[in-house]
Amino acid sequence: MLKPGDPAPPFDLECAVDGRIAHSSLAKISSELVLIFFYPRDFSFICPTEVTGFNNTLKEFTAEQTAVAGVSVDDADSHLRWARELGGIGYPLLADPNGSLARAYGVFDERHKVALRATFILDRKRNVVFSSSCPLNVGRSVSETLRIVRALRTGQLCPADWTPGVEFGPTGRDF
Amino acid sequence: MASVDPAEKKRLFERLSSVREIVFGVQDGALTTAGVLCGLSGAVSQHSQVALAALASTAAGALSMAAGAYLGTRAETEVLRAELARVRVDAAAQPYTVQEGLLDELCKEGLSREAAYRVVRLLSAAPKALASTAEAKMFGLSGPTLGRPALDGVVMGVAFLVGALVPLLPYLLITVPRYDLGGALAATALTLFGVGYFEGWLAHRNDRWRSGVRFLAIAMSAAAVGYLIGLAISPLGATAG
Repeated sequence: MLKPGDPAPPFDLECAVDGRIAHSSLAKISSELVLIFFYPRDFSFICPTEVTGFNNTLKEFTAEQTAVAGVSVDDADSHLRWARELGGIGYPLLADPNGSLARAYGVFDERHKVALRATFILDRKRNVVFSSSCPLNVGRSVSETLRIVRALRTGQLCPADWTPGVEFGPTGRDF
Repeated sequence: MASVDPAEKKRLFERLSSVREIVFGVQDGALTTAGVLCGLSGAVSQHSQVALAALASTAAGALSMAAGAYLGTRAETEVLRAELARVRVDAAAQPYTVQEGLLDELCKEGLSREAAYRVVRLLSAAPKALASTAEAKMFGLSGPTLGRPALDGVVMGVAFLVGALVPLLPYLLITVPRYDLGGALAATALTLFGVGYFEGWLAHRNDRWRSGVRFLAIAMSAAAVGYLIGLAISPLGATAG
């Protein structure tokens, strides 16, 4: 699994976004940060809570100059039907049918042939600045991901459970 | 196409769940009693003494088999109930896990992921339906899986008694030496064949005769092997004596 400091593997994949099938390329994303979250499958019961969770907070991520993309091994048609089932998703759901992107990020579960619940945040240079993964049966926290995005954008030392308004750590230090 | 009444079919399946006890009991009762008659006839000369000993063996055997079936089913049921209770607690605590597990099982049975998702979502509207379907599909546990200890015990005991009467009645009724034992063995063989044939009939098989012959062959082979083992170890008894 990629860790902070590693360069992010590029992608150019078919995706479903705003009710249609399109293409999404990392190279064409211009936002300051990119949030890529891998999830196991469409048409499941934990994944939709995450997919809709990120969709419900999309405005907050956009306000933080952060593009969001979901990735699973399902194809773009499946993503399209799944997004409709969930009432519409405003960010791209990338199709990674053979799991090559998940493998490139080191989060492919070979036993179940799906991606782990892994989250990556990429900086302007498209290096990984944050990575985490959850077991397949436990959903991740959208609000915690948003908190980390906000903390990263400050460029300051942020103590534990830092949220906007809380004092930063000492300046002039790396950690 | 013949109409199928699900309630009638359910009752039939519940009745059929006793087939194991009936087949086991009849086979064991007939074979054990025939064995006792054969063994005692060689050692005791008086017909009435052999009959009395076989009657005593039958009574003890029926009670033992009934108790064994009752205790066995009870132990199995208690273990399954405990597991089921644990599964239900887990399901209440982690409903997503149950939904995902059921979805996977339905996909394995041929439904597309999307169709399976819709089925599970519909079931999720009724937690009881979701739980019972998940228990059946994911763990193979359902109402009929949980046995009825008292019924199993009674059925096993009665089946053993019926099976034991098969060799016993000809032996009691025929008082001519050798013919008594011959009659008992012939009745036993005929009954064992009949049980196999009946089993084939219940299973709607076309080759019911083969089913009867197979049952007879297996039961008689077991008896023959037992007899040969007895012959092989008999010198040990002579040495010890």
